[in-house]
Amino acid sequence: MTAPVYLDYAATTPVDARIVDALPGWLAADGAFANPSSTHIAGRQAAALVATAAEQVASVLGCEPGQLVWTSGATESDNLAILGAARYRAVRGRHVVTMPTEHKAVTDAFRQLEREGFDVTWLAPSPDGRLSLEALRQALRDDTQLVSIMHVNNETGVVQDIPGIASCCRDRGVLLHVDAAQSFGKLPIDVAAWPVDLLSITAHKIYGPKGIGALYVSGRPGSHIAPLFHGGGQQGGLRPGTLPAPLIAAFGLAAAIAADSMHRDHDHLSRLRKRFRDAIRDIPGLRHNSPDAGFPGIVNVSAGDVDGESLMLALEPLCVASGSACNSARHEPSGVLRALGLDDAEAQGAIRFSFGRQTTDREIDFAAARYRAALAKLREIAPGDAA
Amino acid sequence: MVTDPYSAEVRRLFAAPAHAGTLPGAETVRAVAQGVDVELSLARDGDRVSALRFRARGCPHFLAAAEALCAGYEGRPVAELRAFRAAELVERLPVPIDKTGRILVLEDAVRSLGA
Repeated sequence: MTAPVYLDYAATTPVDARIVDALPGWLAADGAFANPSSTHIAGRQAAALVATAAEQVASVLGCEPGQLVWTSGATESDNLAILGAARYRAVRGRHVVTMPTEHKAVTDAFRQLEREGFDVTWLAPSPDGRLSLEALRQALRDDTQLVSIMHVNNETGVVQDIPGIASCCRDRGVLLHVDAAQSFGKLPIDVAAWPVDLLSITAHKIYGPKGIGALYVSGRPGSHIAPLFHGGGQQGGLRPGTLPAPLIAAFGLAAAIAADSMHRDHDHLSRLRKRFRDAIRDIPGLRHNSPDAGFPGIVNVSAGDVDGESLMLALEPLCVASGSACNSARHEPSGVLRALGLDDAEAQGAIRFSFGRQTTDREIDFAAARYRAALAKLREIAPGDAA
Repeated sequence: MVTDPYSAEVRRLFAAPAHAGTLPGAETVRAVAQGVDVELSLARDGDRVSALRFRARGCPHFLAAAEALCAGYEGRPVAELRAFRAAELVERLPVPIDKTGRILVLEDAVRSLGA
């Protein structure tokens, strides 16, 4: 097997064949290319497509279609939620809370808030990667305005107790934003039951196209946010710009497919994870960074005695990640893994295998064998114990 | 955008490090710095390098450089090995500018052979 073996589904997914088939029709002249805000016939056709997609996405979240704001993806949604909420509520207080294990789209937005004079509390994870509700309660202050915690960690698959976190925040009148880029369409989410105020999602993690995402905004009193962009007033002025109806339609179809196959996908991923873990179980010196209770599509393991960059090259043609995909062009230790207690060498030697709907047993077996062989090769040529 | 950071030469040397290993009883030195770790073993036949082996831990460019060094100096005078300069491998492989310090660790190891 020399063709690429793609096991980087946590970074992005291939577009579902049903969407690939449908998208050209939506892009065409007799499709939904028009501006959905236009009142003419073509505009109304596009608007109808957007409305259908909003219903499809909303039904997966348990919200109303009108509570969705379309964005370019989860990075924009995260920034709109965090910067928008903090800035809107700044007159009430300037304390905000998050974790160092969040995605860069969140941590960098909080660093921007620090530059703007906000006081950021970075809550360390428990050894299992989860946020202690007691630690959160203690961190909340009278001037706390916003908490942002991701649902599923993109590097380790750790699943946070969002309902519990949401209750803590609601009790204190603090807004909660959830980055659900890794969980939307993969794990049940019910914002009607969870007191979440803002929630970021994206299409390209669920076999939809890149360039389209959404932010759920509860709209409850006090949950308003300030826009990042200014323009034509679309989407209530919260995120202006002509809506890309074909991409939104594709997102809607991806969400509907994900909802239909969620349990099958979860079972499939759980079985693949067990197969992979069993196949590498006897490799000496491995540290498993993904908990058993984590999302089954992500397996993060590290070996502290090999160079991570060499390991990545030795693993070719496997397409895997040495950290978050957004970091892989740099070879800095993963901040997420460092926060979980790994030293620099362990973090540098970490590999994230992430599986998807199309992953096969054969690919899992190949990946396990390749990982075993790559580690053996690099260990064989390495000097003995450090001088 | 990320382009392939490895030349065909680096990929070839990394994939088949024929000179990885140790030479029992041979002169051995070790250098650890810049996040890399290398052990060189030198066997001489008079004033010539009869065998040169390495063990190393580091990035692909460093492992490729270690293999290129050993392959390139076997059979040549020890004096030429001693005159090895990291710059020749940095240019040949090539090695990115931010990794040249690692190749200098290899040069340091060569310098300490027979020291």
